[in-house]
Amino acid sequence: MAPTFYHDDPKWSNIKPIPQNDTARPLAAIAYTDEYSEAMSYLRAVMAKNEYSHRVLGLTDHIISMNPAHYTIWLYRFKVLSELHADLREEIAWLNVTALKHLKNYQIWHHRQTVIDKLGSPEGEADFIATMLQQDTKNYHVWSYRQFLVQRFGLFDDEGELKWTEGMIEEDVRNNSAWNHRYFLVFGGKGEQTADKAIVERELNYAKAAIKKAPQNQSSWNYLRGVVRRNKLPTSTLKDFALEFADIEKPDDVTSSYALDTLADIYTEYQSKREEAKKALDLLATRYDPVRAHYWNYRKRLLE
Amino acid sequence: MALVSGPGRGGVAELPAEMRLFVDKHVHYIQSLDSRKDELEYWLTEHLRLNGLYWGLTALHLLGHPDALPRQGILDFVCSCLHENGGIGAAPGHDAHMLYTVSGVQILATLDAFADLEARVPGGRQKIAKYIADLQDPETGTFAGDEWGEQDTRFLYGALNALSLMGQLHLVNVDRAVAHIQSCANFDGGYGTSPGAESHSGQIFTCVAALTIAGRLDLVDQDKLGAWLSERQLKNGGLNGRPEKKEDVCYSWWVLSSLAMLNKLHWIDGEKLAAFILQCQDTELGGIADRPGDMVDVFHTVFGIAGLSLLKYPGLVEVDPI
Repeated sequence: MAPTFYHDDPKWSNIKPIPQNDTARPLAAIAYTDEYSEAMSYLRAVMAKNEYSHRVLGLTDHIISMNPAHYTIWLYRFKVLSELHADLREEIAWLNVTALKHLKNYQIWHHRQTVIDKLGSPEGEADFIATMLQQDTKNYHVWSYRQFLVQRFGLFDDEGELKWTEGMIEEDVRNNSAWNHRYFLVFGGKGEQTADKAIVERELNYAKAAIKKAPQNQSSWNYLRGVVRRNKLPTSTLKDFALEFADIEKPDDVTSSYALDTLADIYTEYQSKREEAKKALDLLATRYDPVRAHYWNYRKRLLE
Repeated sequence: MALVSGPGRGGVAELPAEMRLFVDKHVHYIQSLDSRKDELEYWLTEHLRLNGLYWGLTALHLLGHPDALPRQGILDFVCSCLHENGGIGAAPGHDAHMLYTVSGVQILATLDAFADLEARVPGGRQKIAKYIADLQDPETGTFAGDEWGEQDTRFLYGALNALSLMGQLHLVNVDRAVAHIQSCANFDGGYGTSPGAESHSGQIFTCVAALTIAGRLDLVDQDKLGAWLSERQLKNGGLNGRPEKKEDVCYSWWVLSSLAMLNKLHWIDGEKLAAFILQCQDTELGGIADRPGDMVDVFHTVFGIAGLSLLKYPGLVEVDPI
């Protein structure tokens, strides 16, 4: 794309650009490329006289395309939009394209939140999120934004939201972000409030089914253990299930170190099962998770 | 190349070649960062200029070369980023923001330069402290990054860190901030950016460090969090930021420092991690990358070196995990 310049554009002839002032600052002297440098000097000039206009909107678009992390520009862009009473749907359409070019940028997400909050409707956002997640299914910004939408528009009990999350987990059962979102939907809105028994049962079964598909998966085990703990069930609730993947009597057939860890926890709770607990921890330290041998040995020492 | 700069730890010559840290190369790499102004990359990262300076300076201190960047020049630069309202921007002409204000304060503390600040800007320390304190949300106790109001546990940690460095913690409601961190605790033992947000090693560092500053580590389920953190180590020795993600050198800092604050550094395999960090060095031009073979940058350089320092790599100055 050819660079855009303003000095010979008649629409900008009434603006006297303000160049970067970096004399006598040895560590701050900044040599810009000509295009960026000129655009910034026009931005400084319009900001100095508080100009809120369509041409300034275009100018911020231009600078953001070169450097989206320059947070001052986003701030000014939102001011311009507000002053112009601009159509925020158009802003969202513009953001849809811009976001795809800058996947890890913080400013763009905060800007989007501010715009959607003002619009008062999440319409169309699900499609946008789907497109973003196609690029990176674990993008932290995207998932945080989804949580914002759930909170802002009260979607905790929305069936479509839960179904969508299920789809994401089905696609990749190791997507920790999707598991976290599920927890957020089911329990996150409830605070300390006790959850419905049927719902707890449903969640335990859901996590167990996922573990059966992939036994060595931190995300699904964390979820299962998290549900048990949050609802104050004894860990021993999981004993039979864990035994399906790890049995200290059959040390060669362990298919999940997380099951072994769970068993160690269960045995630890019983004075009479100390030896079993030690055996499970030994297996973890020596065979199934030796990188963390120090941790497993620490757990063993607690038993003595 | 000898590693003679550290405070009296020997045995460096005994290290096998693949365990060598190329100190002089890294020092030179950091010094060269500011002389690359004709490169596109330089102005694209202008929004990080002050952070970059802090990272570079910290790396140099850990490497035992604290004077490799000019003190006066750094102070001039920090002061040129300081706004009338006490906030600091990323570079001259950039808006003030919590992240850069914190970096500015950290730089001043590193250089022991609060008196220099007062000489240049009378009442400067009070002004900065007030700017930070005013960003606390009186309802929830957390902090915003700037006047936009974006909130994140990163800002909360930054605020407590900078205020404690300036001896001004009394300006904010620490109990409220602590309560907010507690509300960010997750079902898996970790912490996220806000209540309910996914556990992430970087955010865990911010929460654990903030609690350490507040003297409230007793609120953490330490064994559970320590287990989650130690689970970040992968077979190749590197650490990841979240379950089922790839390793990255920067987590050598976020995860290790958190473990250090919980006194559980030994729960991971330090030797394997050190070997992984050292593999990420550019042994010719200096600098450390996120993983072997990638481009180096100052961010991964400081966090790699800080990680090695926590692992007590010989010759490095010891870093404070907070």
